[in-house]
Amino acid sequence: MQIRPVKLSLIVAAMSLSLTACLPAEKQDAKVSINKNPFPSTYQALPQQTTLFTNATVLTGTGERLDNADVLIKDGKIVQLGVDVVASDAVTIDAQGKWLTPGIIDVHSHLGVYPSPSVESHSDGNEMTAPNTAEVWAEHSVWPQDPGFQAARAGGITTLQILPGSANLFGGRGVTLRNVPSETMQGMKFINAPYGLKMACGENPKRVYGNRKQLPSTRMGNVAGYRAAWAAATEYKRAWDKYYSDYDAGNNPQPPTRDLELDTLMGVLDGDILIHNHCYKAEEMAVMMDLGKEFNYNSGTFHHGIEAYKIADKLAENANCVAMWPDWWGFKMEAYDMVEENVAIVDAVKNSCAIVHSDSSTTIQRLNQEAGKVMYRANENGFELNAEDAIKWITFNAAKSLGISEKTGSLAQGKNADLVLWNTNPFSVYAQAEQVFIDGAKVYDRHDEKYQAKSDFLLGQE
Amino acid sequence: MKLIQKKQLKGLTVTLTTMLSLVFTTHLVQAKTTAITNATVYTVASQGILSQATVVIEDGTIIAINPEQVEADEIIDANERILTPGFIGSMNSLGLVEVGAVARTRDGSDKKADITFDGSLAFNPKSTLIAYTRKGGITSNIVAPDGGEGLFAGQTFAANLSGDFNSIIANQNAVLVYLGAESKGSRAQKLQLLDHKFADIQEKLTKKKAKDDKSPKTLKRDEKVIKSLLAGEKPLLAYADRATDLLALLALKEKYALDLVLVSASDAVLVADEIAAAKVPVIISAIDNLPSSFDSLHGSLSNMALLVKAGVKVILTPKGESHNLNQLRFDAGVAVANGLAKTDALSALTANVADVFKLNAGRIAVGKNADLVLWSADPFELSTKVDLMWINGKPVSTQSRQDALRDRYTGSSDMPRAYIK
Repeated sequence: MQIRPVKLSLIVAAMSLSLTACLPAEKQDAKVSINKNPFPSTYQALPQQTTLFTNATVLTGTGERLDNADVLIKDGKIVQLGVDVVASDAVTIDAQGKWLTPGIIDVHSHLGVYPSPSVESHSDGNEMTAPNTAEVWAEHSVWPQDPGFQAARAGGITTLQILPGSANLFGGRGVTLRNVPSETMQGMKFINAPYGLKMACGENPKRVYGNRKQLPSTRMGNVAGYRAAWAAATEYKRAWDKYYSDYDAGNNPQPPTRDLELDTLMGVLDGDILIHNHCYKAEEMAVMMDLGKEFNYNSGTFHHGIEAYKIADKLAENANCVAMWPDWWGFKMEAYDMVEENVAIVDAVKNSCAIVHSDSSTTIQRLNQEAGKVMYRANENGFELNAEDAIKWITFNAAKSLGISEKTGSLAQGKNADLVLWNTNPFSVYAQAEQVFIDGAKVYDRHDEKYQAKSDFLLGQE
Repeated sequence: MKLIQKKQLKGLTVTLTTMLSLVFTTHLVQAKTTAITNATVYTVASQGILSQATVVIEDGTIIAINPEQVEADEIIDANERILTPGFIGSMNSLGLVEVGAVARTRDGSDKKADITFDGSLAFNPKSTLIAYTRKGGITSNIVAPDGGEGLFAGQTFAANLSGDFNSIIANQNAVLVYLGAESKGSRAQKLQLLDHKFADIQEKLTKKKAKDDKSPKTLKRDEKVIKSLLAGEKPLLAYADRATDLLALLALKEKYALDLVLVSASDAVLVADEIAAAKVPVIISAIDNLPSSFDSLHGSLSNMALLVKAGVKVILTPKGESHNLNQLRFDAGVAVANGLAKTDALSALTANVADVFKLNAGRIAVGKNADLVLWSADPFELSTKVDLMWINGKPVSTQSRQDALRDRYTGSSDMPRAYIK
C-alpha cells in the first residue's frame, strides 16, 4: 500500500474543492489522486531487548517442528533459529520443556467494535442501515480499551483482523491490528497491512433487509446486490483509470467525483484490498468464486465456511483461503452441516489455505485449543496430523489470508519476532501462553505483573 | 479376584479394540450383567480413585465395585483406562432446540410460560444435538427453559441422553428466575416482587393452618409451586451476577428457608465466604472471564478455583448455545489449568449436579444408575475421546449426523456424493 506524503494530500483536498470543468490540455491542473492511507499507523514496537530462547520445542508455522532448538531475536526480528546459538548480549530464557510458536493470528475478530462491556453505546460493529456500506471502516469503531484485547494477548494473540459485522452484503473495511495496548486505533494498526473488505452471503443480509421489505430478501437478491455493486465499481475504476491515462497523456481531464463506497470496491479491483467473505455454504461459496471471475477480482478468504469440506478441491483450485470454526454449529440453518474435520479436510488438498478463526471474544483466548480439537478429531478419523500442521491454521495461513505472511506468521530468519512461549504443547487443554512477544518486545508475561496490561475501563473498579 | 464370563458370545471376543459400532450390532445390548474390569475408576464418592478396579452393572444399576468374584455375561477389560460417572450438563436447551434461528424448532420459551411451565413436554430425544452431545461423555442433562414475560421462567427438567422416547428423568424439578440488570426498569422491582410472592403465600398457608381463612380452599397452580419452594421441596435457581443481587438472594434464602442455587454468579468471588456459609451451590461457567456488563466486572478463569477454595459447591455449566454442550469437559480443563483441582472439576460435572437436582447418578457407587464413561485418557484433555459409554447400563453410541456427513465427503465414489449413505 502506498503512503502518500501529507503535503500532497493537502493539495489534493484543496484541488478537489476548486475543480470545475475541463481546462485546455496545455495547462494541467494538479493531478487528483485518492489518498489510500488517510489514517496511517503510528504503531511502534514496545521496548525490547535481544532475547535468546534455548532448548525449546519449536513449531515454525510452516509445517516444521524443531526439537531442542534455540531462537535468537534482536531488533524486532528473528535473527537465528537452530541449535547451539550463542549470543553474549542476550537475555536467555531457558525453554526446556516449553514450546515456541509464531504469534497467534486471528483473521476474524470483533474486539473493539463489539467490546466488553457489551452496552448499547459500544455496539459499533454493524452499520445495519443499507445492504451496501462498503464506505464504512471498522477501524473508525475500534475502542482500544476493550478488555478483550488483553485477554486475547494472554492467549498468545499478536495480530488480529477486526471486521465489521455481517448484516450487509458489503459490511465495510476490516483492519489488521497488532495486539498492543494503545490509546488509539492508529497505535495498534499493523503497518502496511492491506485493508480487508467484509462481504456476507446467505441468511444475515437477506433476513435483515428482507424484514424491511427491501432488497435483498433472498439469496438471489444477495447476488443481484453484489453484481450491481461490482458493475458500478467497474465503471468507477474505468473512469479513474481514464482520468489518469488522459492526464498522463498531457490532457487536463476532470477527475471523477469521489464516492467512498466505490473507493473501497475499486480498491478490491485494483488488488489493494482483500476480500473477507462471511459465507457458510458450499453452493454459495461456489457462486462467490464465479462472481470474482466475472468482475475480475480475487474472491479472497471465506469466513465461517461450515460447508467448505464439501468443495475442498474447488477452494484450493481457486486459491481461496477458508477460515473456519472447529465445531460451532446449529445456530442457523446455514450452520447445520458442521463436521469436526472440516478444517482438516480443507487442509488436506494441495495448495489449500485452511485457517481456524474465532469470531469470539472467548475462543480468541484459546485459538490454540480450537486448532487442537480439529487435529485430534481428524486423527480419530483417518487423518495423520501433527502439531506442526495444526499450528499453520492459526499462524502462517492466517497471515497469508491477511496479506502479511512476508512479515509474520512463521518463525524464520528475518521475520518479525512475533512469538509465544507456551508452558507445554499448545494443543493441550492445560497449555498456557507464558510469554508473548510482538516485534521482539515482550507484551505479556503470565508470571510477571509488570507485563500484564489492564484496560482503563477496569482500572479502579471494585 | 476371579473373573467368570457367564456365556461366551458367538464368535465374538470382547476386547479393548472392540469398536463401538460392533457393540451395537451384537446382542451385548441385552447382556444382563456387565463387568468393566481393570479400570482406573474415578468414583467421585468416598472411595476416591480406584486403580485396576472392577465395576459391575446390571439392570441399569451399579451392583458391585471390586467384588470378590465377578460373574458377568460380558467382561470389558478397560486396560487401566479411566472410568468416570457420566457427565451431567445443565442450564441449556438441549432437546428443546434443533436450529437456533429456526423458530419452529425452538420450544424453550413462550410469552405465557410462567412458574408452572413444564418444558419436558416438548423434549425431543431424536434431536441431532443429543448424539453429538454424547461425544462429550454427557449422559444426562438439566434443561432450563427461557420462560416468558413473567417473573419466573418456568421449571427445569432432567433428561438422559439415550435418545429413547422415555428419556425424561424428572420434570419440573427446579424453578427458574432471572434477576439483575434490566434494560427497562430497575432490578429492585424483581427482587421486591420475589420477596412478596413468598411472603403472600406464606401468609396464606399460615392462615390456613389457623383455620380462619375464608379464601378458596385450594391454592392456584402457580401458588402450589411457590409453596413447594417454601417447603424446600425443589430448588430455586436464580440467575444473577452482581454481588448485591447475590447477597439479596442469600437474605431471601435465610428468610424463607429456600433451597437456593445461584446461577451465572459472576461476582460470586466477591461474596464467596457468605455463599459458602449459607451452603448455597453455584452454577457457573469456567470460561466467562470478560466484563461483559456492569454486573459482571470480576470474571476470571480462576473464579471457579477460588470459589471451591472458599468452600462453595460448584457446578460447571456451559457458556452459550446448547449445540456445543459437549465442550463442557474442555471448560473443566481450562478451570484446572487455572487452579481448580481435577477431582473438584470432576465433581462439578457429576456428583454436585446430581446432589442439587436429586438425581441417582453422578457417582460410581453401588445402587447408582449405571451412567458411565470409559475414556481413552484424561477426560478433560483435547486429545481424549469417549471409548465406551453407558446410560442406565445400556451401551450408547457417540456417532452423530456429523460423522455421517464426514464419511460421505471423505469417501470416494464415481457417483455424486448423494449416493453415499
